[in-house]
Amino acid sequence: MFHFQFTTVWNVSIDKPESFQHYHLFPKSLGDVLTTYKVKELHLSQTQGLWKHEKWGYPPEDAPPGDELWVWFQPHSGVDQTWADLVNALSGLFCASLNFMDSKSTVQPRWSFRPAGLASEFYSANSRFVRYSTLPREVVCTENLTPWKKLLPCGSKIGLASLLNSVKIYDGFYHSLGVHVRSVCQDTQCLTPATELKQTLTVVYDPTTNKNGKQDWSFQSMFDRTLQSQCPLADTRKIYVDVTTQETLPKFSLSPVPDFVLNQKRSGEERKIAVYQIGNHLSPSSLNLKAMYEEKLTFSNSSLPPVYANRFVTGYGLERGGVTCMIYNTMSSNTTVIFMETVPWFLRVYFSSLRIENDGKEIKPYKINFIPAKDRANPYQMELVFRLFANSVTKITYSFERAFLKWTEYPPDANHGFYVSSAVVSTVLPVASQYTATSQSVSLLEESFSDSSSSFFLRLHTETLLVSLPTPDFSMPYNVICLACTVVAIAFGSLHNLTTRDFTASDPSKRKGLVAKLKSFFKKEKESPENKPDSKEEEIPSQKDKDNSKSEEKDSKKKDGNSET
Amino acid sequence: MAAPMVNFYFQLIAFAFLHQCTGTSPEEFFKSGHTNNWAVLVDTSRFWFNYRHVANVLSIYRSCKRLGIPDSRIILMVADDMACNPRNPRPATVFNNANNQINVYGDDVEVDYRGYEVTVENFIRVLTGRLPPSTPRSKRLLSDEHSNVLVYMTGHGGDGFLKFQDAEEISNVELADAFEQMWQKRRYHEVFFMIDTCQAESMFQKFYSPNILAVASSKVGEDSLSHHVDPSIGVYVIDRYTYYALEFLETVTPGSKKTMGQFLEVCPKYQCISTVAKRTDLFRRDVNKVLLTDFFGSVRNVELLPDSIHLQNATLHTHSEDSSDVKSDKPLSYAQQFPMPV
Repeated sequence: MFHFQFTTVWNVSIDKPESFQHYHLFPKSLGDVLTTYKVKELHLSQTQGLWKHEKWGYPPEDAPPGDELWVWFQPHSGVDQTWADLVNALSGLFCASLNFMDSKSTVQPRWSFRPAGLASEFYSANSRFVRYSTLPREVVCTENLTPWKKLLPCGSKIGLASLLNSVKIYDGFYHSLGVHVRSVCQDTQCLTPATELKQTLTVVYDPTTNKNGKQDWSFQSMFDRTLQSQCPLADTRKIYVDVTTQETLPKFSLSPVPDFVLNQKRSGEERKIAVYQIGNHLSPSSLNLKAMYEEKLTFSNSSLPPVYANRFVTGYGLERGGVTCMIYNTMSSNTTVIFMETVPWFLRVYFSSLRIENDGKEIKPYKINFIPAKDRANPYQMELVFRLFANSVTKITYSFERAFLKWTEYPPDANHGFYVSSAVVSTVLPVASQYTATSQSVSLLEESFSDSSSSFFLRLHTETLLVSLPTPDFSMPYNVICLACTVVAIAFGSLHNLTTRDFTASDPSKRKGLVAKLKSFFKKEKESPENKPDSKEEEIPSQKDKDNSKSEEKDSKKKDGNSET
Repeated sequence: MAAPMVNFYFQLIAFAFLHQCTGTSPEEFFKSGHTNNWAVLVDTSRFWFNYRHVANVLSIYRSCKRLGIPDSRIILMVADDMACNPRNPRPATVFNNANNQINVYGDDVEVDYRGYEVTVENFIRVLTGRLPPSTPRSKRLLSDEHSNVLVYMTGHGGDGFLKFQDAEEISNVELADAFEQMWQKRRYHEVFFMIDTCQAESMFQKFYSPNILAVASSKVGEDSLSHHVDPSIGVYVIDRYTYYALEFLETVTPGSKKTMGQFLEVCPKYQCISTVAKRTDLFRRDVNKVLLTDFFGSVRNVELLPDSIHLQNATLHTHSEDSSDVKSDKPLSYAQQFPMPV
């Protein structure tokens, strides 16, 4: 895993828009958006892939697949309109379809997304000013990386950002872009706030692909580039490598040799971090950090993280279904957890079917915040606070019914299905096992290496769900028109012919060849004035002839009938 | 006293020097009549088997950027994501050629309308400028009466319509009316309309606004064909007309003197199999005298003023509010992230 973090701290208060004037390192495009839309805190993540907590532990910034945006606004009236305008402005800034985050998918979380920066207790308890929305379907590609890179003070030409090769980054298992803006303390006294902008990029690669199990990696092999320069505008330019397992399995050695090795001590976890000051390694040639492993990759049982979750859809058919979320607690102590779910309006949740079970026993949650949906206006919002018992699995289930959408509400690829955003599990861990996030009061990774606190806030995202709704057959109009027109043409056409045509009998004995027909044609012209007396004479003939002619008529009619069909 | 005199002489010398340098008169500078260039590039097809339409539009995007039109002047609408599609064996790349010669997706791409946002309504709104007030600048076509606009469309089409994302269609009458709205609101100086779909000629047959030059990859009754398959991807990679157009555009540099007349002759019948149709009756100038960079490149015309302008010192006085004003009496604290008792 590679985690890039670019932190800019600007000693002005975001609460005072007048002070956001002389931009130096802070990007003006983002600053203008923040001041215009009265933003106090902004957290945007754009992710593709699922973070596997059981195998990889906890990332520095946890993000769900797709786009997630949560914003705390300055207190003002009309927050809904400001949110709608803000998502449009951000969609232009980050080249993402954030403008789809309208009221149909936006919620106001009551307990799950408290401000991450400085905020008074009165303000953070009021969920009027927070908005949370996700787009699970959103794709993240180079067009999102490009504007993200343009926000950096040094751009992407020099410094660590020059390593970001889009062709390699998007080839990994998981990649996540993050933009986090919050208020932090300017100094230890904390009498004045400062604004912190943290841009993060987390990438997970498998170095053994195409290498027959060898797990050596280097900047050249992972990014197809080496680090050739450092950003002169930055105060700290460092690379940290986790070398906790360097002496045990799997053994590896780093080249070049790190400047020094720090001990990261947090309650319950001790890690060794090798530190590189980039400036020391750029001459004579560029920095190509390499890790050489002695042996090939072997799989072993890794320790599970303290809390992790899985979520999936149950049921069959297109009428009903259910959602089950299993939360695993591998610690030997109980912990309280806040579980938040946002379900779109067209999956009508039966609140009475909500059950929380632990080993068959039902658990009653301490608090429930359930806001039912309004068709085509608001989604279902559910927040549950309950206790996770030690060394156990807790199962949350509820069932839903699928709604019929109007035919104009289906997306162009309707048969793909509809996405349900991930659930968010928040808890506080007593031990920092596999915990890599920075603590709340500091900005840089290094500052949280020696953390003496005993509680670590954790936020997890589960998988997103893909649900099929009863979808009409969109090729139906075309098929119906073809079928109906064919039926009409054949059936009605035949009937029409039968009823409106005048049938005359033709005497089969009078059937002539071509020459005779021509002769009779010329004869008719001569005989036309004499027709009347002839017809009278023909009426007189004997009845025998009439009978014969009648029977002949019948025969000819039959023959005519056959030829018709 | 001396300073303004020196100033004046400097200006005079500078003007004379510049005049001799460029060798062109101001009339020649403004001969083409436009001062800025915009491009609206639309791909209307979704799904993996329409990979070639995305490659088409990205080829033209790449040419526009290379010849000088900046991202802020290009509206790129791509209906589906091919580069980071799980089926793409080479992520973050879109090639126009099975030999992977040019990565038309590149490293510096900004897509303004993506995925479900590419609809007929959004396209017409972009052209006519009738967008909701919260639309950001990068999604607006802010052209004026001196703008040359390049409009490129690709996808699946038929006689008189172009299909958007398998769900809706735009008719040639609607498109002609949209251009007329643009003309009446003075939103363009000249438009170059390129379209690469089946029966593409039908889309420009109904145009009636002046100053539109149009080229289509096939006549009514003909299908536009794709160029070749990339076996590793399994779908057609690019369409014939755009492939040869890109080949022609790759030879063009920003200072090139190639004309639109030459560009309209790209892809003769033996290469394209379909007949390339063009419409020049609405266009006032002679196409053989119009530079290619008038539409594909970006013109930055500079107007020289012979007199000097005095500017006020616009830097603000030290703003009266120092950060000390924000000091609060009590130390601020971080919000509690987990509001429940642990």
